[in-house]
Amino acid sequence: MKKTLTMINIEYLEVSYGRKAPALSIDQLQIGRGEHVAVIGPSGAGKTTLLRSIKGYVRPSQGKIEVAGVNLWTARRREQRQISRRLGLIYQQFHLAPRLTVLQNVLCGTLGATSRWRSLLGCFSAEDLRIAWSAIREVGLQEQVHQRADTLSGGEQQRVAVARALAQQPSVIIADEPVSSLDPAWTEDVLKLIATVQSRHDVTLVMSLHQPHLARRFAERVLALRNGRLVFDGPPSALSDDRLEELYRGNNVISLDRAPNTTRSAEATPA
Amino acid sequence: MNVTNLVRSGPRIVEFLDRMYPPDLAWSDDETRPFAPPLRLAAGVVAVTLQISLLGTALGVAVALLLGFLGAENLTPHWVHHPIKIVLALLRSIPVILLALLFVAAVGLGAFPGVLAIAIHSIGMLGKLFAEECESVSGGLWEAMDSSGANWLQKVRYAIWPQVAPQINSLTLFRLEMNIRDSAVLGLVGVAGLGLWIENYRRAFDYASVSTMVIVTMLVVLAVDQASFLIQRHLK
Repeated sequence: MKKTLTMINIEYLEVSYGRKAPALSIDQLQIGRGEHVAVIGPSGAGKTTLLRSIKGYVRPSQGKIEVAGVNLWTARRREQRQISRRLGLIYQQFHLAPRLTVLQNVLCGTLGATSRWRSLLGCFSAEDLRIAWSAIREVGLQEQVHQRADTLSGGEQQRVAVARALAQQPSVIIADEPVSSLDPAWTEDVLKLIATVQSRHDVTLVMSLHQPHLARRFAERVLALRNGRLVFDGPPSALSDDRLEELYRGNNVISLDRAPNTTRSAEATPA
Repeated sequence: MNVTNLVRSGPRIVEFLDRMYPPDLAWSDDETRPFAPPLRLAAGVVAVTLQISLLGTALGVAVALLLGFLGAENLTPHWVHHPIKIVLALLRSIPVILLALLFVAAVGLGAFPGVLAIAIHSIGMLGKLFAEECESVSGGLWEAMDSSGANWLQKVRYAIWPQVAPQINSLTLFRLEMNIRDSAVLGLVGVAGLGLWIENYRRAFDYASVSTMVIVTMLVVLAVDQASFLIQRHLK
């Protein structure tokens, strides 16, 4: 599948925190519309910084990032808002409102598009409800729709977060280590869900992962960062064990040879 | 202050207690009394005290909510929350009885200065506590709402409010309880209500009536205590 349109365009980007060496320094990076990209690298390599600069939460110290042809830091406020709300975020810690129900949490995804005063009173339009319901169906949480978010398991909470991102009707989904706080079975489940959602809606997915073997299995394209620099950009098949070894050298945290044993398969997991 | 003083005052205290007992439970009014008997006045006076504290608390909570959200470090920029924190600290630093004294001078006797004093004091107290509740909400949730394009009010409504509402309810109820106690005292500086009548009877040396009013005050506070306990339990 060849991607023609560029969704995310990064040129000579540099992000520094304070006077230290730049946390991120990327000369050229283009991500096409509908691509499924995994970002890997040891801790502190700049994965989160890259993801947050795409969302516009981290200000580049040099260079530029364009999303759908718009530079979020120079665009007019209105245009910037319009682009930004199409960039859905998924976090390691889910960040759901624990005391709200699944439906309410998902409806929060529509806030950017909805009428302000009505939403403050808790009134959502039929259209918002339709969007939220279809997102909930997609992640398979119809049964739990009126349950409070804090009564759900970690994997289910991440499914709610995926639905919330979907309710934004995103053109890009940015997932920052979405499975790092899940057990292996749920990891499998959530990654499959994200992949399904990605291909069905043809959204661009940029996802950082702590475990390289997952990136190899799920992504179409892998970016590897080390010390804030892009050291690998290519299909998972080109990511040999030697390359990984090199990438993680000195960070003997991750076992590269094989995936951890999954105790149950994702199919057997109750949705 | 010395020991002899203390010893000498012993009999005086006994005499004083003797004058307070028994409490005046008379119903019929007679010409010789400077004021109507306390039991006749009690219902109306209690009503005024409750009105002052309810209205004062309601006003206070409304403003405290606004200032609480604006004064929370995680919700507003430095130049907004910092001055608000200072204003809240200033409001808190004035004892409520002093506020009442000032408002009596400013707007005259009656219930109104009491309402204002209670409201101002509650803003200072509750505003700070509300802001602290907001500050305890995880920043990630706020960012997640921001990410969907929600504006400030929407973020407050959906990221903050559901998390802080239960604590805000119980803080408010607790404040109401204290305000009812406080408003009973405000009578000493001329605000209408229970305190004013305790003061009126005391000035007339009618200690039996004073003790009736003190008992009424105690009953009201106990009743409010109990009511608030029941409401708290119901809310949980």
